[in-house]
Amino acid sequence: MAHAAEHAVEETTTGLNHRKMLMWIFLGSDCMFFAALIATYMVYRGQSLNGPYPNDIISVPITTISTFVLLCSSFAMVQALSATNRNDQKWIRIWLLATAFLGAIFIGFQIFEFNSFKNEGLTLGANLFGATFFTLTGFHGAHVTIGIIWLLGMFVVAMKGRLGPASSLDVEILGLYWHFVDIVWIIIFTLLYLIAGFDTGPAPLAGG
Amino acid sequence: MSSSPQTEQGHHPSTKQYVLVAIILFAITIVEFFIIFPDKDLIGAAKIPVLVFLSAIKFAIVIMFYMHLKFDHRMFTIFFLAGLALAFAAGIAVLAMFTALGGQPRAYALANAIPYVEGEHGAETAKPTAVPLPTAPPIDSTAPESTTPDAAPTTASTSEEKPSVGSGAAVSLEIGTNGDALEFSESALSADSGSQVTLTFTNGSSAIQHNWVMVKAGARDEVAAAGTAAGPGADWIPAGDDRIIAATGLLNAGASEEVTFTAPAPGTYEFVCTFPGHNFSMFGDFTVK
Repeated sequence: MAHAAEHAVEETTTGLNHRKMLMWIFLGSDCMFFAALIATYMVYRGQSLNGPYPNDIISVPITTISTFVLLCSSFAMVQALSATNRNDQKWIRIWLLATAFLGAIFIGFQIFEFNSFKNEGLTLGANLFGATFFTLTGFHGAHVTIGIIWLLGMFVVAMKGRLGPASSLDVEILGLYWHFVDIVWIIIFTLLYLIAGFDTGPAPLAGG
Repeated sequence: MSSSPQTEQGHHPSTKQYVLVAIILFAITIVEFFIIFPDKDLIGAAKIPVLVFLSAIKFAIVIMFYMHLKFDHRMFTIFFLAGLALAFAAGIAVLAMFTALGGQPRAYALANAIPYVEGEHGAETAKPTAVPLPTAPPIDSTAPESTTPDAAPTTASTSEEKPSVGSGAAVSLEIGTNGDALEFSESALSADSGSQVTLTFTNGSSAIQHNWVMVKAGARDEVAAAGTAAGPGADWIPAGDDRIIAATGLLNAGASEEVTFTAPAPGTYEFVCTFPGHNFSMFGDFTVK
């Protein structure tokens, strides 16, 4: 049904493609999801009563590299969409696989980071920093992982030669999701690493 | 084959523009990195607004060009920005509730936290060994602070309960920490009433600050809470608190300090580290004979 609809000019009540609108509404609501987690992190920032504190374990250079990797994957994603619109079968496959691969490298960095934090004594239950940090970055990692699975699924479709200008909306919606994961990381990287990454022990209680 | 007119496929940026956008994003990230590395205070207090501004630019560039909002139907922008605005509102509401409107983000943790000590989780939260307390009331979580004034273990009270060793006898005590664990190396210390005690506290941890504070029986958690309110500038020790008998300053890892005091009236006292959170596991009994 969906395939048939894509070939024809879709007539919808809004004049807009409803699948694309659904993705945008989902992304708008996902903003709220991450805002709640980020706000929780900021509320409890500097409130951990015992270590490890961010300054003890956060490595800004390593995370800058993984941030670059995620930015590169976004570039690969737009190239995949561009190749789809050109009906360039070879490059559709290359760019889709490259996007998934770069996303997987990002996840690899995150697994390395989580593991080294665990070895330093930071767990989900160690202190407020651990609880809020792992919840926020873990949910982001879950989003990236879902994106990788989606990309690999799209890659399989591409290998069968079924992607082209007619199905460019499929790739575009996937791209919207992928870029959203990227912009969430832009925010997390700035707040948790660049700004809060040097926090140490608890600040005195405001107002006693 | 032709793309639908509604989605305006033809208006997507060219590859050249995509490359340019990627270069701008990379450049901003590099600038952000060098603002805080290797010197995190390179631009001082301007750091936070500058970093937030730069990441907002990156955010805007990605949604405008990579996500095509600049070229797409305005309705998509409206949907997304509505969600984003609600997200900001939700975030500000959470921050306001817990920090700006008299909230105490640490209150729950202060009341309930059990410090994580690897391999010994929960083991150190047991109450101190129950010994008869001749002069001080037994530890009772409901005991109000008003129980303390009648017990007066100050140096002045030593004359009437002179121990057999005689007043002024010098005693040297030493105490350290169990490595990086939130524990003192000794769970019990003792001295004779009226003796001149010289206690040397050595912070044996590799990274954590500690102090050593001797308090009246049952007062360690209340004194620690008051110390948390006093803040790091006061070494986490409430100034002029009559429940405190003796205290070292706040010691950095590896540091050592001597404190000299006259052992008070016979009885059981406690010692504790008042660094926030440490009082749950870092304490012991000080018995004065």
